[in-house]
Amino acid sequence: MTSIAVKDLHKTYKGALEPSLRGLSFSFQKDAIVGLLGPNGAGKTTTISILCGLVKADSGQVKIFDMPQDAAHREEIKRLVGVVPQQIALFPELTAIENLVYFGNLYGLKGKGLRSRIDEYLQLFGLEKNGNKEVHRFSGGMKRRTNIIAAILHQPQLLILDEPTAGVDVQSRSMILQFLREYNKQGVSIVYTSHLLEEAQTICSEVAIIDEGRLIVQGTPDALIAKHSNCRNLEDVFLHYTGYAVRD
Amino acid sequence: MLRLLATIRKEWLLLLRDRTGITLLFAMPLVLITVMALIEDAPFRDYQEVKFDILTVDNDHGRLGRYIQDGLQSSGQFNIVDSVKGHPVTEQAAKEMVNAGDYKICIIIPQGATGAIVSNANKIVNDISHRMGMSIALPVSTRTDSLHVTVYFDPAAKKAFKSAIHQALDNFLTQVETDLLMDRIKQQLKRKDVQETDTMQIQLKAVGLKEQFAGESKQVDVISNSVQHNVPAWSIFAMFFIVIPIGGNMIREREDGSLLRMKLIPGSYLAILAGKMLFFVGVCVVQFYLMILVGIYLLPLFGLPELLLGHSHVATFIVAACIGLAATAYGILVGTVFKTPNQALNFGAISIVILSAIGGIWIPLEIMPPTLQYIGHLSPLSWGLDAINNIYLRNMGLEHILADVSKLVVCAAVMLCIAAGIEKRRIS
Repeated sequence: MTSIAVKDLHKTYKGALEPSLRGLSFSFQKDAIVGLLGPNGAGKTTTISILCGLVKADSGQVKIFDMPQDAAHREEIKRLVGVVPQQIALFPELTAIENLVYFGNLYGLKGKGLRSRIDEYLQLFGLEKNGNKEVHRFSGGMKRRTNIIAAILHQPQLLILDEPTAGVDVQSRSMILQFLREYNKQGVSIVYTSHLLEEAQTICSEVAIIDEGRLIVQGTPDALIAKHSNCRNLEDVFLHYTGYAVRD
Repeated sequence: MLRLLATIRKEWLLLLRDRTGITLLFAMPLVLITVMALIEDAPFRDYQEVKFDILTVDNDHGRLGRYIQDGLQSSGQFNIVDSVKGHPVTEQAAKEMVNAGDYKICIIIPQGATGAIVSNANKIVNDISHRMGMSIALPVSTRTDSLHVTVYFDPAAKKAFKSAIHQALDNFLTQVETDLLMDRIKQQLKRKDVQETDTMQIQLKAVGLKEQFAGESKQVDVISNSVQHNVPAWSIFAMFFIVIPIGGNMIREREDGSLLRMKLIPGSYLAILAGKMLFFVGVCVVQFYLMILVGIYLLPLFGLPELLLGHSHVATFIVAACIGLAATAYGILVGTVFKTPNQALNFGAISIVILSAIGGIWIPLEIMPPTLQYIGHLSPLSWGLDAINNIYLRNMGLEHILADVSKLVVCAAVMLCIAAGIEKRRIS
């Protein structure tokens, strides 16, 4: 069974000079930790937005857990998917608990069940002493961790993270990666984007490198490295496929 | 329902954390209506309750001069000044003082004015007596040139003020001439055949003027006071300023990604939007009633009249809620259209000032030019004010506010549709 299956996806934003996606196709196995990698402007965010149902593709097929991403399945898919956006998508003036209670309520969670789940996750992410602190007083790492909690409150089957470790210290990054491994062991499929290829090599069971709206290569990090004798790590593989030219 | 209630709670918590915002939402409007009601009190009195010093130069020293001075004095609007620093005012000095703005008005009563009026009255009586076959002839002046009571105004005096003075003086002159004529007629009739015991009462005004209120209330003068206009008008103005916090709130949610997260959660975003709107409409209604309380209890402490409410409190609540709805929808539209809080702040504030100015908040629409009146009736603020005036001033009920309330609701719906269209376009 696949967690995500994308076939011949095309997308051009209104007014854009070039398409963001030009026939992107890939599929990820359920229970995998997949790194969706690509340089700036490769089409990662557009792909994630389409997977989440926020943006409609011009053409192509998207299936999440074998369900087509259409109007009939959109709500069901939203229930199965948790998204950690790159931005800290929290209300800075509210405390961590107030934020989590609000987003939990939006998922239909309430009462003691919600509170005990929030307490459990706060403890898991080392935030139990800061639950009543306003988010704008948090450090970057604390914000990132709270951002993740908000996305897993409803216990999704697929977790999509857009650069979850960007701008955090080593300790917070370590905690987040450890959590992702543990969470994946519970049967949750994980797709995440990152520019930190060493991190992706460590954590991902599979990576998909995309560029200019197309899939360039897909496979396990070890297999991709082994395929090219001049590549010692995933970063070398990435540069091999995407080139050294700076992207804007 | 959980989404709606959770959103109301979230907005409430956000408001509580923003103490400056609370001050702006509640304290500033209260200060605004108090200041505006006090400042606009004088113009709203329409020169009826304001006392002016009025210079008089009486060269006549007769009945007309006394009559004009007594009449002006007894009207309660004027203090008669006929001497400055112990010296009688001359015509030249009076002109200079008025021109310099020391006095608003100066009245010069010409020498021989009373004589001219008496002569005119005698002439009429002589004519009547002659036609009745009586031989008595009262003395008539041979003077042919007409005399004028001259009025000098401060060049800065407003047209309405000049008109009021002109009308008052005209009335005094007519009254004196009529009195003298009636006096002469009575004297002539006495000479002819009437006994001494006859009191000869002649009632000149057979038909008088009596003001009655057209509505069901007894609030005859309610329309002409500053509080009745300013409290509802500036309350509506202040309620519309909710556009700024809502616009800022919408843009912040979009910028910090919380809007994105809300859209990723299953369920309709409309429930979240409804919760947000319900909260801000509630804030607007609370604002409105706080300002009404100021009109009832605080403004009288400053010597202003108490705000009089109509009889239909349900209608008042509905109007307040619908104004809040229109203001909230406008805030959502502004927050959707603009990309930065600064843009929303500037546009929101300036547009409300414009909408309020043309909508009759600053000055009543009735005194604007016809074209502006027409444009003014397109302003949501004027619909709100019309509805409140129907309740407070005309003592009307629910059925008479439906038209204005419907306009506010439709306007809110249109603004929300436009905002939804813009948001959809932005995502695509």
